[in-house]
Amino acid sequence: MTRVGWKRILAWLVLIVLVVLLIGWISRWMSNRGPVQKVNATPAQIERGRYLADAADCAGCHTAHDGAPLAGGFPLHSPFGTIHGTNITPDGEHGIGRYTADDFFHALTRGEARDGHQLYPAMPYVSYRTITRADSDAIYAFVMSQPPVNVPNRKNGVHFPANIRTALHGWNLLFAHPEVRSASQGSSADWKRGHYLVETLGHCGECHSPRGALGQIDRDRPLSGSAKLGRFAAPDITPQGLAARGWDSASLQQYLATGASAQAVASDEMLRVVTLSTSRLRREDVRAIAVYLLGDAPLPAKVTATAATAAGPGQKHYLDLCSGCHGRDGEGVPNVAVSLQRNTAVHDSNPHNLIVAILDGLPVHDFPGIARMQDMPGFGDDLDDGQVAALATWLRQRHGGQATAVDAATVAELRK
Amino acid sequence: MSTTPARPRPLSLHVNGIAHGPIDVPEDMMLVDVLHEYLGLTGTRFGCGQGECRACTVIVDDERGPREVRSCITGAHYFEGKRIRTVEGHARRDDGGKIVELSPVQQAFLDHFSFQCGYCTPGFVNAATVLLERLHKSPITHDQIEDTISEALNPHLCRCTGYVRYYQAVKSLVLATPGLVRGGEPHDGKERAP
Repeated sequence: MTRVGWKRILAWLVLIVLVVLLIGWISRWMSNRGPVQKVNATPAQIERGRYLADAADCAGCHTAHDGAPLAGGFPLHSPFGTIHGTNITPDGEHGIGRYTADDFFHALTRGEARDGHQLYPAMPYVSYRTITRADSDAIYAFVMSQPPVNVPNRKNGVHFPANIRTALHGWNLLFAHPEVRSASQGSSADWKRGHYLVETLGHCGECHSPRGALGQIDRDRPLSGSAKLGRFAAPDITPQGLAARGWDSASLQQYLATGASAQAVASDEMLRVVTLSTSRLRREDVRAIAVYLLGDAPLPAKVTATAATAAGPGQKHYLDLCSGCHGRDGEGVPNVAVSLQRNTAVHDSNPHNLIVAILDGLPVHDFPGIARMQDMPGFGDDLDDGQVAALATWLRQRHGGQATAVDAATVAELRK
Repeated sequence: MSTTPARPRPLSLHVNGIAHGPIDVPEDMMLVDVLHEYLGLTGTRFGCGQGECRACTVIVDDERGPREVRSCITGAHYFEGKRIRTVEGHARRDDGGKIVELSPVQQAFLDHFSFQCGYCTPGFVNAATVLLERLHKSPITHDQIEDTISEALNPHLCRCTGYVRYYQAVKSLVLATPGLVRGGEPHDGKERAP
């Protein structure tokens, strides 16, 4: 072939690409120009939608601190960069005012916006894929009945190459399978309702399931814990994991409804989940979640007696720095400091959260209602890595039934 | 639950320039109790007992510099080998131990009528003293004064709500003490409510 032939082919290719881009741009422009939707829904439908939106924790990401409800802006940190929840108020310019119920269902379950761009999987559309059409329509009716807020979306900080949204088609092809291996065994009506609440609406696995190198959820080990997303690890919430840390149905329900039980107070991102979602659920739905997490035939919750431990540096650090609030033997003070005797982080075979709490401390916790938990100072400046490891080891052996020692290298890794 | 009584361990403390001990102190006793019951230093106040009100704040001088530590939630044995200052240690005394001159912070609080019942005052004196010593080492600019003082005093609770006068006392002391503020007067000279 001659040089001229090559040039001609190249010119045609460039033209084709330009035409494709133009068509894409025009269709996107046209779709953005669609009419702002007006939804006629009964108060009962809207109320049902509000409840489902709570169960799906939409506000968790779509409402920023001190921001207007559902107007977006909450930052979600991921290994690929920071992604902000978008404005999902019915605003025609920045929100989803032009979305039809079909568009909404498509975005919710397929991760594709009305204008055709791919949503980052920070939007849990893989979990939402099994949402029913009726539930999607109810949430749509609720969202569209909220006041429109004219707030532009915040720029995301996703790094190259993860910021190539078109590549998400490939990601979806590989990983967006709705089939989830159930984390527990069961067949009761409560278990099935709990399955839908946990795996679909609540999208618990988005944080609590381990993830692979490309951010895909490991569907063979559902809900078995992940340390990849936040400063704190999302613990193992399989039936085995929960029972080993002393959780039973009653304590799980109390925790999800109020944010506090003998095992734990909800902290960090989970406190937000409790405040915005689980504390707003009906009692029977909270029970269904507990039934699903533990299974129809729950394992007995492990009871760990306080063990005799040798006096040593770990115990000394405890008496010097911790016992003033947590009590001489870890008994705790209500609304001040948690009891360590049954504490879930102390009983966890993974010392991650215990170490982070010792290093960073915890902010004041305001729970739904009037309950509160005082802030905890961090001891990262007071204790070096070896001392934190000694303290964590002593606490785990004393109260948690965890014989394995924590080593200083693990602490060093978790220091900010 | 453990029912065995706490074992005593020998403890040496260095408080306001004076070495104490070794004395046998239960291993789980908080510093505030040792100050009160063993050393007769009752100026440090026991308030909430859970580290919230900061009436019990003492100063620790160690490699991390002068810093505030809450004596009601910190075990006495933590202070082994550390130098502590309490509210009793600020004023200048004569050889007989009689107070001859208050520290600048104490005098400023008196001059500004900062306290009423005075229960929180030892904590505020220590907080302001730590702040001033910090500013001596690393002075701030004029526009940082208000935020810096607020940040230092904010954690301390005063149930008589004397906050404004504590704040004003510290601010006038910061402005009147040479070497704490870099640069000249602010341009607009605008006052902001604390």
